[in-house]
Amino acid sequence: MRNIFSYVVFLILFSFSYTIYGHHAFTAEFDANAPINITGKVVKVEWINPHAWVHVEVLKESKATIWMVEGGTPNTLIRNGLTKNSIKPGTVINVRGYQSKGKLCLPRCIANGRDITFPDGSKVFMGSSGTGAPRDGSDPKER
Amino acid sequence: MVNGEQKTSLMKFLFITMIGLPLVLLGAEYETPKTWFGDPDLQGTWTNASLTTLERPDEYKSLIVNERDALIAKRMTKEFVDAQDNYLEPGETPKAGADVGGYNTAWMDFGTELFKINGDYRSSIITYPEDGKLPRRWIGWGKEAIAIARMFRQADHPELRSLGERCIVGFGSSGGPPMLNVLYNNNYQIVQSPGYVMIMVEMNHDARIIRLNSEFNPDNMRRWLGDSIGFWEGNTLVVKTKNHHPQQKFRAAIRHQILISEGAEITEKFTRVGKNEILYQFEVNDDEAYKDVWKGEMPLRASQEKIYEYACHEGNYAMANILAGARAEEEQ
Repeated sequence: MRNIFSYVVFLILFSFSYTIYGHHAFTAEFDANAPINITGKVVKVEWINPHAWVHVEVLKESKATIWMVEGGTPNTLIRNGLTKNSIKPGTVINVRGYQSKGKLCLPRCIANGRDITFPDGSKVFMGSSGTGAPRDGSDPKER
Repeated sequence: MVNGEQKTSLMKFLFITMIGLPLVLLGAEYETPKTWFGDPDLQGTWTNASLTTLERPDEYKSLIVNERDALIAKRMTKEFVDAQDNYLEPGETPKAGADVGGYNTAWMDFGTELFKINGDYRSSIITYPEDGKLPRRWIGWGKEAIAIARMFRQADHPELRSLGERCIVGFGSSGGPPMLNVLYNNNYQIVQSPGYVMIMVEMNHDARIIRLNSEFNPDNMRRWLGDSIGFWEGNTLVVKTKNHHPQQKFRAAIRHQILISEGAEITEKFTRVGKNEILYQFEVNDDEAYKDVWKGEMPLRASQEKIYEYACHEGNYAMANILAGARAEEEQ
């Protein structure tokens, strides 16, 4: 009985910990039933903590909508040589992710960006592409 | 032609280089630099980013990990990163009902390898109990489960949300004590002045101010990150912390989940073992949440990188979005 109790408690705790991905739980902010796949021009980049935001203008039937796309802390990217100037206004990007639970889009629509892709297919913010691979300081060549 | 005197000199040279020098190197202790006021110098920017987690994964049967398994861990992490970042086909839209996830791994900095101590890879930060697991007192954890559930589900106002979301302290136990690694911002800056040691934690810009050779504050003073005092034991900084803040009891990150009760007593030791490394050791005494004491150690490695400001409040759009999301759900 005690083992079952322990297991249940652990499951509860672990399931919560999974949602604590970073500074906050994305599941509290974004709607799993509202996936997005949008393409538009970058109009602004907010390189701020706790999360960076990329503003994208998306045209649909001649109507422009601004989407704010949430990323992670910029500190890691700055350390890897990327800055807000690495994504210049006017750059066309594709963003895939999920819209926020609040969908009023006032003043802007909000989404998280699971990944961001340029028209030529290259991806930005991809750890596996070498632009931001996590480092741990153990390799002297990294210093 | 080598004469007798030259032969003797050659033998001496060979003895020194082949036997004497390695012995000297083996026995050589790192001479800790001193600050201008004479304390051992721990100052600088340090990182504890590593694949090694607080508790030992079940795959590992011992604290020490052989080279082969350490390489496997490194390779599997890269595969995980690739899968995490490339889970969709080109042009494919994410599926409805799937995990909304977070951001991809470029935003993270959780290390690429298990850390090494004395040349050996380690499977866990925990060194005692020997199984590398927290000796949880499950009754205590069960009592907390309800409060924890509330914390992640209630969104009537900001004060009901977790401390990390509110920009009060970093998530998990990044600020400590004990100071544990998380997914990113695993950087610490140590600054010393006569009578004080300050540890600035990049995650959430938390600052631990340790008063040297001092007394604890009165028990009714509960500060974020606890009340820390310290002293030097030779070249080792010993830090004792108690009177933990009740709202900081449950500390969760994806890489560790711990309870630190208000009455817990935590001892940390910082020893500079080389120009580029501090050995960080800790011991947690918390009868309320654990059946036994637990101990751990990890290296803090020198970083040439800067620590950047983590001005959490100024850019915290997420809090408003979380509350707006809760209101939208209520309307449905």
